[in-house]
Parts: sequence; structure tokens; C-alpha cells
Amino acid sequence: MSGHADEQASGGGPGGGGSGGDRSGGGSGSWFSSGTVGQPSLFERYRIPLGLLVLVVVLRPAVASDVLLGYDAIASKMLIMMLFVAAFNLLFGYTGLLSFGHAMFLGFGLYIPAILVQNGLWVLPAGGNVTFFAGVVLAVAAVAVYSYLLGKLIVGMGEIYFALLTLAFAQALYFIVLRDWWELTGGSNGLSRGTLPDFVEQTRGAISIEAFGLSVDWYWVVGVVFLLGMLALWQLIRSPFGRSAIAVRENEQLARAMGIDTTRYKIWAVTFSGVFSALAGVLLAIQNTGVAIENLNVFTSGDTVLMAVLGGISYFFGPIAGAFTWLFVEDFLTDFELWQFPLSEVTLVTLDLGDVLAYWQFFLGALFVVVVLTAPEEGIWGYVRSIPGWLRDRVGGVTR
Amino acid sequence: MSETPGTRSRLQRLSELSPAAALGLLAGVLLLGNAAVQEPGFFIDQAIGGLVYGMILVMISLGLALVLGLMGVVNFAHGALFMLGGYFTYAAMASYGLPFWVALLIAPVGAGVVGIVMEVIVLRRLYGKNPIIGLLATFGLTLMISEGVRFVWGASAVQPDKPAFLTGGTDLLVTQVGTYRLFTVVVSAVSVAAVYYLITNTDLGLTVRAGVQDGEMTEFVGVNLPIRFTAMFFLGSAIAGLGGALRVVEQGMDPGVGQDLVLLAFVVVVIGGVGSIFGSVVAGLFVGWAQFLVPAVLSALAITTGISSIDVTGIGVLVPFLVMIVVLLVRPRGLFGEEGLLE
Repeated sequence: MSGHADEQASGGGPGGGGSGGDRSGGGSGSWFSSGTVGQPSLFERYRIPLGLLVLVVVLRPAVASDVLLGYDAIASKMLIMMLFVAAFNLLFGYTGLLSFGHAMFLGFGLYIPAILVQNGLWVLPAGGNVTFFAGVVLAVAAVAVYSYLLGKLIVGMGEIYFALLTLAFAQALYFIVLRDWWELTGGSNGLSRGTLPDFVEQTRGAISIEAFGLSVDWYWVVGVVFLLGMLALWQLIRSPFGRSAIAVRENEQLARAMGIDTTRYKIWAVTFSGVFSALAGVLLAIQNTGVAIENLNVFTSGDTVLMAVLGGISYFFGPIAGAFTWLFVEDFLTDFELWQFPLSEVTLVTLDLGDVLAYWQFFLGALFVVVVLTAPEEGIWGYVRSIPGWLRDRVGGVTR
Repeated sequence: MSETPGTRSRLQRLSELSPAAALGLLAGVLLLGNAAVQEPGFFIDQAIGGLVYGMILVMISLGLALVLGLMGVVNFAHGALFMLGGYFTYAAMASYGLPFWVALLIAPVGAGVVGIVMEVIVLRRLYGKNPIIGLLATFGLTLMISEGVRFVWGASAVQPDKPAFLTGGTDLLVTQVGTYRLFTVVVSAVSVAAVYYLITNTDLGLTVRAGVQDGEMTEFVGVNLPIRFTAMFFLGSAIAGLGGALRVVEQGMDPGVGQDLVLLAFVVVVIGGVGSIFGSVVAGLFVGWAQFLVPAVLSALAITTGISSIDVTGIGVLVPFLVMIVVLLVRPRGLFGEEGLLE
């Protein structure tokens, strides 16, 4: 498996005939397909890092343009959710374990630094920068230990049990935070005051980071952390660890027969996924300038699953596409009042869709059901990927 | 697959308790006894509350266990069907002014019909596939149903008026219990017993169970299996809908209830053991009681020992999950589960 940096060992998108390989199985039999790949070019090999870089540079101007949303504050949130859903997909898409309670891992990153910064501890003053970083380290350590133990406890019981048990553990954690027995988490109010370290500056809703006399826009800080996190995930997936995890997903018995300790790989996949999710949580707490308990509940976990599956769990960019689509649709449709066709000046048809589109989740739910029934591993990104091949087949010259 | 050895051997299996489990049981009995002596009124209140709640849980988890054990589909939308039952009742009583009895009939039939539509359009494509796909698809359905409910009835909680003849209380020596709660217990007990009988003791149940073990062979001997599966799905949905109808009158209903309760129903099924209908009935009652009695026990213990910090407020909601974790650690397949199912 040397030097192979495709998004995954998948042979081309669906319908991407042309040069790509065809997909074997699919549907009822095996979950995911595999194909043969030749020696990739340098561009091929590094197209994922390049794609991520382009994404970070382009995302904010794109969503800020009038054609899309017209304001840019949501761009950094998109990046954070992308990282979170990608961390989720390390577990679901690559190891084959569906976590239905992923918000709990996010919660570690949300709450632990915020609690520490708010209260201070021993030599660490409240609100201090060092306190914050100590909080981040503590959060990562805590989530690593927690997810490792959780994995050890429940990973051996089968996929469905794993899904339901993560859901149950997340719910238990949610209730603990909600009840707030030690008066740390703020219960249902969440944390809103004094949770930010000193280097975070807020001016009229915009966040910037003040460090060493420099003022850096929050989006770029998120962008850098996002890039580092995603690259680490990418490296993890193409490392022997990731390849073994894929082997576990594809055929657990065969993987075990080949000498892979499947349980161990699953446990570590849970751990890594938890750590990266907590990292996204740390960013989200600053993004929201506080912690809301809604980010810990069962709906957040459910949205994560929806985003990943809508985006396409087979692909590295699938979760990114899913998170983008989800947040975009949420923002776009809830502000959407009138649908005018073709243009507002020469309107032929005007529909008042505001009432219906407020319930956009209904339609996303329907789309989700269709995606799950027809191509559960492909999603939006699988569809997007198939377009070039489709075009080539229809428009390009016949070479054979 | 759901066929487990008869009741006698179950009792025998229970009698083969390890010393540790026996000790645990003894401690539990002592703690319960202490609670009953310290605050008898509160204790009985909680016990009845736990019974009512447990019966509702049984009604949801029974359908869930049916569909899971018989068809191998994890129906996440089952809680949404429960919720729909409640909303149908509300609509029938508050919007159309129908009497309670009629609503109590409409709700299960309505939920059952929605269940049939779900089964025919979506779930039928999922039999024999990876159960994860079924979980995902039904999760999407849950989302659609909750949004639909939000669209029709709004996001805030609704509650119809209690029927007049069930509003009073019934005297039970130390405390008074709402008549409606007793009514809930009776109705749910009867319906659960009926469904249980249907599955274990009738031809329909027998053929369905045969179909689960070997579908091809069952169809070969002339059993129309798809229609029987649909019938089973109707049954599971209807009993959940009935549960919703019973609950909406007492507690009200909001669009989030479905997801909350389906989660607890999963907990119940896991504790009872996947594949065992009997197990989910026992576990449902157990979880209901545990959720209500643990606070009572702790409160009594705090009085006895004088340590007030034992009496943790709001521990009840956490109890089902704690119970499940303990059960899974001690006996991963659940109390009455078969080994190897869904693993």
C-alpha cells in the first residue's frame, strides 16, 4: 500500500466509467467496494492536502458572496463542523463503527477548557492563556482516556450495539452535565461568561486572536487548526493503521485471519475519533463565545450522522461536503421567503415558500432516506465525483 | 429466534444465581424495605409512578423488540410512532371533539397505518441487509415524522383534557393514586399480554417465527410471509401508538418525546436481551421501577444514615443507563437474550 493516497481504496465514483475502475458489489452484499489503482502522479498523491488548502482559502469569500449567503461569520463554523464530522467519519466511514453519540466527544472539548478558564485552578488563574492551553491538554487527555475505555467496553459487541451504546452513554453524559451536581457546567444555561482566554478579542461580534502584538482573524486560526487536524486525519487514514482499519470494516473475519487484532484497531479508532472531535469542540466553544448544552444533546449526534451520510462516507471529502451542505441549507432555507422565477424583475412565478422551508429538516430527512436506500456510501460527494466521468463519457471523443 | 425455553426453565435459570448476584438481590430488597418503612407514602407513589412509566416503556420496547427480533431491523422511528399515537389522540379529542374511547381506538390504528406505510415503502427493502442501514433509514424517517408533527401541531407541548370519569383519585391506604394511572396500567398490561399471547401461542406468531428462522422454506410450504411481516409491523406500531395515546392524556406530548423514549426503549431491549420478547417486558418494568425507586431508596437511605449528600436530585434519569452499563458488563447479551444475535 505504498504511496497510495487516493481518498480511499475505491475505484472511481459511480458511473465514472471512462478511466476509473468499476465498483464491485455495492448494495446488499459488501458494504464498500474496492478497486485497483496504479502508481499515482505527484499531483494525485497530494491532491487531498491541496484540496483542503484550496477549501480553506476559498470557503469564506465564497459563502460571503451575495450569490450564496452574503455574510462570512458562518465560514469558520463550517470548518469546525467539517473537522468534527470528518473525525466522526474516521470511525464510521473508515472503521465501520457507527457512533450515534458523537456529541459527547465534542462535549469534552467544549466544556473542559471553558470550565477551567472560568474557574481557574491552583496556580492557573481564571481567564489566563496558559489556563486555556492547560484546559485543551486536559480535554484531549480526558477524552482519550474516556474514549479508549468506552471503546474497550463496547467495541466487541457488534455494530448495532455500538451505535445504541454510544447513544446511551452520550445521553447519560448529557444528563450529568444538565443536572450539574458540582456546579461547574451551568446546567441547561450552559456557560457564557468568562469562558474565553485573554487572547481572544471580541469586537462587534467578530472574533480575533491577539498574540505577540499581532491580531489574527479568527477564521484563519480556525483554518490553520482545521488544516492540521485534517492532515493528521488524512495521514492516519493512509498509514498502516488506517489501512488496517479499512480492512476491519471490509471484512472483519478475514482481517482477523490475516493477523490484525481487530478489537485493538477498533478501540484505537474510537480513541482517535474522540480526540479529533474534542479538538473541534475546543474551537466551537470559542466560535460560540461560550458553551451551549444543545451541542451535547442527541440531536447534535444525530445531525453528525446525517451530515456524514449525506456527504458520502466513502470519501475523505464526503464529511466536508455533508457539513457544508447541511449548514448552508440550514442558513439559506430558513431565511428564504419568496421563490421567484426566473428573475425578480420579470417574475413569472412567485411562490411563498417561507412557511414550508422553515421545516427544511423534513425534506433533508426525506433526502437522507433516499440516499440511504439507494447508495448509502456515496452521498453528495460521490455524486459530485461522478460528474466529470459522466461528462467525459457523454461529451468527450470516443477513443476506443 | 424469539422462541426461548418455557417459563419453567427461565425460572430455573434465575435460580442458578451466583453468590454475588444473590447478595446484590438481598441488598436491593433491604434497601427497598428501608425505603418502604421510612417514607411509605412517597414509596408507594414512586412505585406506582414507576409501574405506569414501566408499562409505557414496555409498550414501546415490545414493538421494537418484535421488529428487531423478528425482522432484524433496528427501527429508530418506533419512538416517532409512539409520538404519533399521542398526537392522533390529541387531534381526535381536542380538534374533533371525539370521546376518549374513540381516540383510544384511532391512535393505535393511525400509528399502525403509518407503520405499514413505512414498512412497505422503506423497511421492506432492508430485510437481510446490514442492520446499520436500517438504523440510518429509520433515523431519517424519525426526522421526517418529527418535522411533520412540528408542522401540523407546532413545537410546544400539547395535552388533551382527561376524560371526566378518570380524573379522580383512588385510595390505596397510605396514599392516593390518580385513577387514570391505574387505568393506564390495566390497559397496557392487557394489550401487552395480548400481543405476547399472539406471538407465542397462535398460528400467526408461529409462522412468523418460522419465517424468521428460514424464510425460504416457510414460503415454500405456502406461507405468505411479506404480508405477515407487515402485520407484525402493524402490531408493533399499533401498540406503540396506544402507549402514546395513554401517555398524552397524562403527561402531554411534544415533538422531542419520540427520540427520548426510543432511546430508553433501546436501553430496555438491550437489558432484556435482543431477540427476547419476554426479556423486554421484564426489563421495561424493571427500568421503569428503577428510575422511580432509586431516588426513593436514596432519599430513605439519606434519612437513615443522616448523610444528606446521598440523596442526589435527579439521579432517576441516569439510572436506566447505569443499569444497562452494569448489565452489559456482567452479562453482555442481556438478561434473557440469545447469544450471537446482531453481533
